[in-house]
Amino acid sequence: MVKFYCGNSRAINKVLSILCGLVLWHYLATVIVADTAFLVSPLAVVSKAYEMLFLTGELYPHLFASSWVFLYGYLLSIVVGVPLGFLMAFSPAVRDYVHPWMTTLYTTPRIAFAPVLLLWLGIGAGSKVAIVFLGCVFPILINSYYGMRVVDREFVELARSLRLTRLALFRKILLPASLPFILSGLRLALGRGLTGVAIAEWFGATAGLGYLVYFAGQTLNVPVLFVGVTAFGLMGIIGFEILRKIEDLATPWKTSHPR
Amino acid sequence: MAPSILELKNLSREVKGRNGEPFVIFRDINLSVRDGEFVSIVGPSGCGKTTMLRVINGLIPPSTGQIVVDGREQSGTGGDLLMGFVFQGAALLPWRTSLNNVLLGLEGRGKNPSEARDLARKYLDLVGLAGFEQHYPHELSGGMQQRVNLARALAIEPKILLMDEPFAALDAQTRSFMQLELLRIWSQTKKTVIFVTHMIAEAILLSDRVVVFSHRPGTIREEFRVPLPRPRDMEVKSDRRFVDLENTLWKLIEEEVKAAGGFARL
Repeated sequence: MVKFYCGNSRAINKVLSILCGLVLWHYLATVIVADTAFLVSPLAVVSKAYEMLFLTGELYPHLFASSWVFLYGYLLSIVVGVPLGFLMAFSPAVRDYVHPWMTTLYTTPRIAFAPVLLLWLGIGAGSKVAIVFLGCVFPILINSYYGMRVVDREFVELARSLRLTRLALFRKILLPASLPFILSGLRLALGRGLTGVAIAEWFGATAGLGYLVYFAGQTLNVPVLFVGVTAFGLMGIIGFEILRKIEDLATPWKTSHPR
Repeated sequence: MAPSILELKNLSREVKGRNGEPFVIFRDINLSVRDGEFVSIVGPSGCGKTTMLRVINGLIPPSTGQIVVDGREQSGTGGDLLMGFVFQGAALLPWRTSLNNVLLGLEGRGKNPSEARDLARKYLDLVGLAGFEQHYPHELSGGMQQRVNLARALAIEPKILLMDEPFAALDAQTRSFMQLELLRIWSQTKKTVIFVTHMIAEAILLSDRVVVFSHRPGTIREEFRVPLPRPRDMEVKSDRRFVDLENTLWKLIEEEVKAAGGFARL
């Protein structure tokens, strides 16, 4: 059985898994459900996606709108979450101040904030970015904090023994040691960020994949609904692949990452 | 008599215990080490020998006493880089190759990069790792990792090398080879070494002098000069004088353990 876990056959496993899922979906849609008002075959989704991409081009504004909202929110969470996590690790005072907010806001369903944020920030980009930000920032914050906290004590002693400056300790030891944790925070944030996009666009948006899905759901346009959902899925896959590339480049000492 | 390079005067370290009372880890340490001398510290586990090594290196402050290196009193980690520390776990940075791990202590010290690299290479060669410069720690065996650990400490060209049970985690065979390697490297560099170990035979094989620590709180129980000529090899272990000293040391440590309430209390 060992050979199933080697290089090529593992890639084949993935393709097979996707194919099996698609076949099952097709069978479910055309034979078991057999009602296009409830479920359509993946073939119908593909043809609808083709139409929206290449014939009418109506998918692009939604794609762009969602991508921008996502990217702004995601990048903002990195810019805020990583340094704040580090500060929490270094300063007990910062930790004490941030911790109660972090735990409360992290565990509160973001959908509860959506109407309030809309009220405060309006239906423009601000409220949507804020919802995505609220989803992404905590996993990044928590992982950056945790990554700094669990750096091997012996490494810190090593730095002291070699009389490294505080800056060198941070740059040469603490930062690279916590990098894998930060990257795993970025991965967690990816899924939460995309969910954030969907939530944000359900409330008072005029474009975006979330709006598309919501609108299609309201009008029982099942093919369009599935095109929107699939687009979300693809955004997730692309995001994961980009993060994996970054991880491979940033942590070359690791022989293999889980794929 | 060569002048002493390291002097410990009335050194002690205590921390707050669980019930708020002071808990003495070691106390009244007076030790004078000659330039180029190899001194081992042995004692039952938990006797504070590793903590003392940390205090000597300035990683933790002493509660009382002084550490004098080359006539100058040391305080904290502020001063010059006079001591190299060889860690028990190799403490190699997994994201750095062997060469870059050795370079860690040389970076930002006013050396130009190619000069620093030559120095790092020189010490990797000395510890027998020529050809492994570009390997990452996970690609090296435990023994090789300890060689990099040693090379890193040597590369900063310290006056004193502090070694904290560096071979404790190695298997018996690798450990023996590493002991022989250390004998060779020491004879080539003539460094002053303070070597902490719980292995009596290791201490005798390597050292000019063996210092026996008492059980908690650690104090110097007795010192022994090792009466064996150098260069030494593994055959020295069957020398009458080696065996006698080993027995004497073992009895002493056994006494210490018994005084502490038996080995179950270790």
